[in-house]
Amino acid sequence: MADKQYDDGYMHYAFYSGCCFQGADARFFEILEKVFDKVDVKIHLIDDAVCCGAGVIEERSELTSLAINARNMASAERMGLPFYTPCSTCFNVISNVQKRLGEDKKLFKQVNEILAEDDMEYKGECKITHTLWMLAQDVGLEKLKERITNPLNGLRVASYYGCHTRNPGDIQNYESSDNPTSLEDILKVLGVEIVDYDTRNDCCGYHLVWPNNKLSLKMTGDVLKGAQKKDVDLMVTSCPLCFKNLDGLQNKAVAATGGDFQLPVLFLPELVGLACGMSPKEMKLEWHGVPVNVRL
Amino acid sequence: MTEKITPVREKILSNIRIQRFTPGKDRSPYFDNFKMEVETGMTILEVLRHIKNTQDSSLTFRAFCRSSICGSCALRVNNKTVLACSTQLMPILKDFGKATVTITPMANLPIIRDLVVDIDPVIEKLAKMHPYLVENKDRVPETLEKESLMSQEELEAFGLMTDCILCGSCYSACSAVKADSNYAGPLTIAKAYRFSVDPRDDFRGMRFQAAMDQGLWSCVQCRKCIKVCPKDTRPADSIRDMRRISIDAGIHDSPGSRRAKAYTDDVERIGQVNKPMLPVIVHGTKGWAAIEAAEAGLKKHGMEPTRQVCSLPGQSGAAKIYAKVREIEGKKKGGKTNG
Repeated sequence: MADKQYDDGYMHYAFYSGCCFQGADARFFEILEKVFDKVDVKIHLIDDAVCCGAGVIEERSELTSLAINARNMASAERMGLPFYTPCSTCFNVISNVQKRLGEDKKLFKQVNEILAEDDMEYKGECKITHTLWMLAQDVGLEKLKERITNPLNGLRVASYYGCHTRNPGDIQNYESSDNPTSLEDILKVLGVEIVDYDTRNDCCGYHLVWPNNKLSLKMTGDVLKGAQKKDVDLMVTSCPLCFKNLDGLQNKAVAATGGDFQLPVLFLPELVGLACGMSPKEMKLEWHGVPVNVRL
Repeated sequence: MTEKITPVREKILSNIRIQRFTPGKDRSPYFDNFKMEVETGMTILEVLRHIKNTQDSSLTFRAFCRSSICGSCALRVNNKTVLACSTQLMPILKDFGKATVTITPMANLPIIRDLVVDIDPVIEKLAKMHPYLVENKDRVPETLEKESLMSQEELEAFGLMTDCILCGSCYSACSAVKADSNYAGPLTIAKAYRFSVDPRDDFRGMRFQAAMDQGLWSCVQCRKCIKVCPKDTRPADSIRDMRRISIDAGIHDSPGSRRAKAYTDDVERIGQVNKPMLPVIVHGTKGWAAIEAAEAGLKKHGMEPTRQVCSLPGQSGAAKIYAKVREIEGKKKGGKTNG
């Protein structure tokens, strides 16, 4: 996926951060850059992008969501780079917009008429990807393996995709959405033992945090409980929003489901960084809600 | 469509793992394993019928039309809800790379026997949504001589949901129903939306009430219902639409509607959502505790908290887009009322 304008051995991506990395999570900008550098990937912030609206803006105006996200993609097109987002919901929302505009010429034209107000044009050429496929397919498992200096052998890990890189099935064509393996493929390269658990395919409830907090916490607690039952050392998720609930709200979620345990949860890039020899300090693991008291 | 179709009939000796359960007789559900040769093109329903005819006549499942229109044969294959009659087994075996496949009844519903579930809870919830047209006297002519004509655009507003066959697949896949059995489920809210945007109807307000009572804002938008719907009706999209028309109708007093307003307004104002203040915007004064807890967390790590995140450089461009969309939507709405 390396772009022609660079000839430095790195793969370059237009980086769409979304707005999940605010406050304490702002640390992930730096962490992602450092981790990706280990696997010869450079990310360039799309600096004139705006929040995708997380599908919530569609609850006010669908056309607004279509137009601002076509604009987000148009910005990446201007940079001439593939569109990378670490956020599964941004991936879902923006891929859905791309699909809608690809299927509906009238809508494509209308959205471009709107974008003309801002001297932008969405061409529909944007390739959208996510950490899962950037690592498993673009970087490739072979290269990733070469860069592992601290194999995490023996670590029992529960892998968790979350919903938005899997549903609906046609949201991506990188792999099977019914039986995705990219996360486990990456984790196997890192050396960990992958443990199956009942709630692996369940939803963490992140998008109910505001509209129905009680239900959100129950869903999070249920997912965690399923993994905890299998005596895993930690849980790893490829979605930064799932991470917010599974780690940040874990204490409340576990209490809401009548449990009493702590299960360390890592965001996938963190574990990749650790396996590539970076320290827990560099990964800022002390910022986690649940202490990561596992030897890594 | 010039590709020549060459029928390659593969055969795989498979292990079909089927959940069995007779309430009152069995203490809990258990699995039976059936060995059989699965051929290319064979549907799940054909597999089940073959097993019933040749291996175990007591195996119980429900099926009728074999044309994915009656909606009675929904069940789960490797945990995904599908219609048995329109789903082939071979691609699933290949996708999972295993010769074993697990068939279970739909989730979130009581089991009657083996693969047959009681669909009544869905129908009861649907009935509460007033899933019928209540005559709009301004629109429906008084005499039978005149027809109640609809424009293409009006039809398109609810077109997808008229294809719903009430199979319950979305209900089985629903994350929110799994966590809260009182939640209405995807198809019921989607159906409520379908009738609410029908110009011949005059009962929208009651449906808003019914949808709010049954959890309009409990849908988590996991999009699983869109994935499993055999008729591609996209229930989660209709739920978003139902939320939208309820807000448009002036129902702003739920945390979900306040979130929708905050997200939409913030992106126009600063290009991103001002998350530090969301607890108060969504929950009022009750949200202060959450803000203070988040700020204490930041201070612990030496970060200075803010209650107003910065405006992104893309904001001015996005604001132009908002203005243009507003102009288009204003015209559309104006057109409708005047017309």
